[in-house]
Amino acid sequence: MPEITGYAFPNDIHIHWSLMIVMYPYITGFVAGAFIVSALFHVFGREEFRPVARLAMATSLCFMAVATLPLNLHLGHPERSWLVMVTPNLSSAMAGFGMLYSGYLLILVLEVWFVWRQEIIKYARQSRGLKRTFYAALALGTYDQSPEAVAVDHRAATLLAAIGLPGACMLHGYVGFIFGGIKANPWWSTPLMPVIFLLSAAVSGIALLSILYQVVAKLNRRVIEGRTVAALARWLWFFLILTITLELLEIIMLAYEKSEAWHIISQLLTTRLEFSFITIQMVVGGLIPLILLGVVVLMDKYLHERIRNTLCIASSILLLIQVFSMRWNIVIGGQLLSKSFRGLRSPYSPEVFGREGVLMAIVLVILPFVLLWLFNRVLPIFGDDLPAGGAHHGDPPRAAAGAAAGAAVAEVEPA
Amino acid sequence: MEHARHVFRVVLVVIVGLAAILIGRGFLVPKSHGIFGAYRADNVAEQMKARLPAHQGAASCTPCHKGKAETRAAGSHKTVSCEVCHAPLLRHVAEGKVTGPMPVDKAFTACARCHRKIQGRPEKFPQVVLEQHVTTKLEGAVCLECHDPHSPKL
Repeated sequence: MPEITGYAFPNDIHIHWSLMIVMYPYITGFVAGAFIVSALFHVFGREEFRPVARLAMATSLCFMAVATLPLNLHLGHPERSWLVMVTPNLSSAMAGFGMLYSGYLLILVLEVWFVWRQEIIKYARQSRGLKRTFYAALALGTYDQSPEAVAVDHRAATLLAAIGLPGACMLHGYVGFIFGGIKANPWWSTPLMPVIFLLSAAVSGIALLSILYQVVAKLNRRVIEGRTVAALARWLWFFLILTITLELLEIIMLAYEKSEAWHIISQLLTTRLEFSFITIQMVVGGLIPLILLGVVVLMDKYLHERIRNTLCIASSILLLIQVFSMRWNIVIGGQLLSKSFRGLRSPYSPEVFGREGVLMAIVLVILPFVLLWLFNRVLPIFGDDLPAGGAHHGDPPRAAAGAAAGAAVAEVEPA
Repeated sequence: MEHARHVFRVVLVVIVGLAAILIGRGFLVPKSHGIFGAYRADNVAEQMKARLPAHQGAASCTPCHKGKAETRAAGSHKTVSCEVCHAPLLRHVAEGKVTGPMPVDKAFTACARCHRKIQGRPEKFPQVVLEQHVTTKLEGAVCLECHDPHSPKL
């Protein structure tokens, strides 16, 4: 039975949005974050991201595949969930999921198809029997590998990445919108919420890739490209600065305005969320990676490669924890305070077993990596005879477009 | 254009897929969906037909349990319906016949739902800090050791 301190309405003390609703934005965040990394290469022509571009896209797709699972585990009637896809409701933010998810999934699958088309054709030609049929069906029966066709592939992938980038932003921004649009809850209701969700998604996606890239390269005995790690660290630092700034800005605004809600939010942050917000989200997961990445970015040329890689991995692990605690603090924190703005309930501890338990959350985190391993078996992420990251995207047609896009990006690139 | 054949194929696949979804949608979306809002309007009538009212109110208990009903009506729980602590009548009686024993929630948590000290409750409403009020172990039907729920005043 939850304990209550202060003046809480008796019916205002239940945590209905459980651990699974924490997991949902966490997993969707990786989809958007990983896509941003792949778009930095495909759309903005950042050559240093070539070695992670394909890994990023595959990661995005694998996390996308499990993104609906936490929601289905939370629903009382998961068998009805498909109805949200066929009955769009323009006046409901939650129902917007149907259109945003399916639209973005389509773009992602198409882009994966264009990027991996050369491998699909190669395997369709090399293999026999059922395997051949499978790859031939995937290739849609066209085996055109001429330079002109490759150039078309590249243009299509770039175009899809350009459409997919706002798509990814909208998919994750809308998750923030759901919270930001709940006006009865002052801890959620702010227009900053979609932006904060989006930026922390970028942080979690880049952090994940920076770990994944080094681990996968080690496992495959490939060289870890120094400039790729450094570039990931640079962008991670950039997005971290933006995220922390906005997360603090939201609180500083509430504190400075001393609005009626600040009375309860200040208590929430210093009592119930003291560990998960102040210790984890702000200090261990915020300040420490900020300093570590600052060292990597500002002192890059003085650092030994191994030290830089280790610092990147360490700060990325801390940032993965930071983003999880941010989701936790928003989703769970918002349900600990009473709508009276004068009372708090005792902290929430999720069940271990069961549909919405801790074990299930661990399974949900592991599952995308299993899918990534499967993806790599069907469509190798690092082709045997291809330079890692997509052989077909450094071709002359993209170089011109990339240069133009790169020039535009140079203005906003950090450091 | 001849090197863009695969693009046309994939666009065709997408168009066929979208058409399949649109046509399939015609079959999948229930006919009465959207008449009154984003839900199946027929469902309202179906639920009304399919579900018997489970709760019948305190008056429905009186014919058989006159003594208890009188005790309750005289005590401070006179406004609390029987079915708050006991199960809904349908679990016990159907079509005027007793169908099974009446379940009852005797746990202290049932009492705590209304009488646990919460600042948000009116001051004059009887409420206690459970840990201070109960001197023995706080478990099971501990409240009923002293209080009669039909007339709770000691």
